[in-house]
Amino acid sequence: MSDELERPGVRRGFDAEKAGRRAECDGGGLVMGSRYAARQEFTGTLTGEFYDEGDPPWRWYLMEQLTRKPADYPFEAVWCESESLFLIGPASPDTSEGSPPSRSHATKQRNEEQG
Amino acid sequence: MSKDPLHTRLCDQLGIEYPIVAFTHCKDVAVSVINSGGFAVLGEAMHTPEEIAADIKWIRDRVDGKPFGIDLVLPASAPAEASLDEIKAKIPETHRAYEQMIMQKYDVPMPKEAVDLHQWGGLNQALGRAQLEVLLEERVPVIASGLGSPAFLLDAAHERGCKVWGLVGRTRQAKRQIEAGVDAVIAQGFDAAGHTGDMGTLSIVAEVAAIAGDTPIIAAGGITTGRHLAAALCLGASGVWTGTLWLACRESDVDMIIKERLVEATANDTIWSDSISGFTMRVLKCPWTEEWKKPDAPRPLESPYQMILSSDYIQGANDARRADLMTEASGQGVGFVTEMKPARQIVFDMVEEALGTFDDVVGLPE
Repeated sequence: MSDELERPGVRRGFDAEKAGRRAECDGGGLVMGSRYAARQEFTGTLTGEFYDEGDPPWRWYLMEQLTRKPADYPFEAVWCESESLFLIGPASPDTSEGSPPSRSHATKQRNEEQG
Repeated sequence: MSKDPLHTRLCDQLGIEYPIVAFTHCKDVAVSVINSGGFAVLGEAMHTPEEIAADIKWIRDRVDGKPFGIDLVLPASAPAEASLDEIKAKIPETHRAYEQMIMQKYDVPMPKEAVDLHQWGGLNQALGRAQLEVLLEERVPVIASGLGSPAFLLDAAHERGCKVWGLVGRTRQAKRQIEAGVDAVIAQGFDAAGHTGDMGTLSIVAEVAAIAGDTPIIAAGGITTGRHLAAALCLGASGVWTGTLWLACRESDVDMIIKERLVEATANDTIWSDSISGFTMRVLKCPWTEEWKKPDAPRPLESPYQMILSSDYIQGANDARRADLMTEASGQGVGFVTEMKPARQIVFDMVEEALGTFDDVVGLPE
């Protein structure tokens, strides 16, 4: 997915207010190889990383530390469309300081590259 | 009671006669329903932007300025990594062996061509975006999202005179979309064909209608008769979204083998199974679904692995037109689909039955 974010029309960013927040994602998409839609539900922690796709911007947030995901979902992270995200619980203390408790590998790498 | 209980807010929004929305993948069905006083939404999720533009023109040329809709499946989540090749490599050998057992036991032929599995991860978003551009450019009267929230495109759509509808399976999704300003919400229940949420139609329609305010609610899931239409309006809906109802109609391009199975089927011939895609979806029972529910069967894999496993069976059965193997998405209302009627007749029968139902219950004014 990280390579796909390099495609034209994609702008990456970081939302400190979302970083570290627990959230549920009413996710899903088109079932590969079919004409059907399907739902997938996730619960996890937002890293604060997001990207906007195109204009008008279509915003996606990265969710990690998944405590709920579909059985056998093979990955530890998921991108969630912003309007399909539902924040749960209070903001963590770390968030108020703008320092998320967990950053994805991609963010860490980017920050290191940027010095 | 108003003089015409079937004249709803949805009729006013669209300028249509009857609050019946046909969801179909067949252009001929769409045009026939539209020209009969209903409304139709064409499912174009699997089409290229060029194909969508051509289909829009085809419909426009045949409906004399009447409105219509196009449905896309906007994704709501996407895996954060992995390529299709990596995914294929992760399918367990036990599951591959079980698939092969079924293929051999039922003598399922292999597909004539490789199954298209291109929708994956971020490609979904890029495709969805390109499809949306066409709908905005063509100023399609109604843009419907069959899954993810369409909130991000509301301003762009409204600036072009397009209405935006969102399909939901949960009340909180409806609340979010209504607050964002969608023009209608389709509340879909468990009775529906294909992939659904786990709330029944009766429950979700009433819940969503209770929070909808002035936003029209369209009931979906298991709706195939005028009595269903009347019931949906009583629950607070302004119209009904119907899919299975049109699969076996005369204009439908669904294979005749499937049409014959549909007119013979009852709700008990459908199954809510995750054996085809890894997501639970309601389909007509077939050997594939029956084999995967046996006690000694492996547990179906999560999407997309299970879809990769089932794709050869599904496509092979369709290519060879094997009636004993084929399946199709079907809602629980299929028991009322008993004839291959013209779409126009289906609209009129539904209207007549709904009016008769209202008359039976409360009596309509002369």
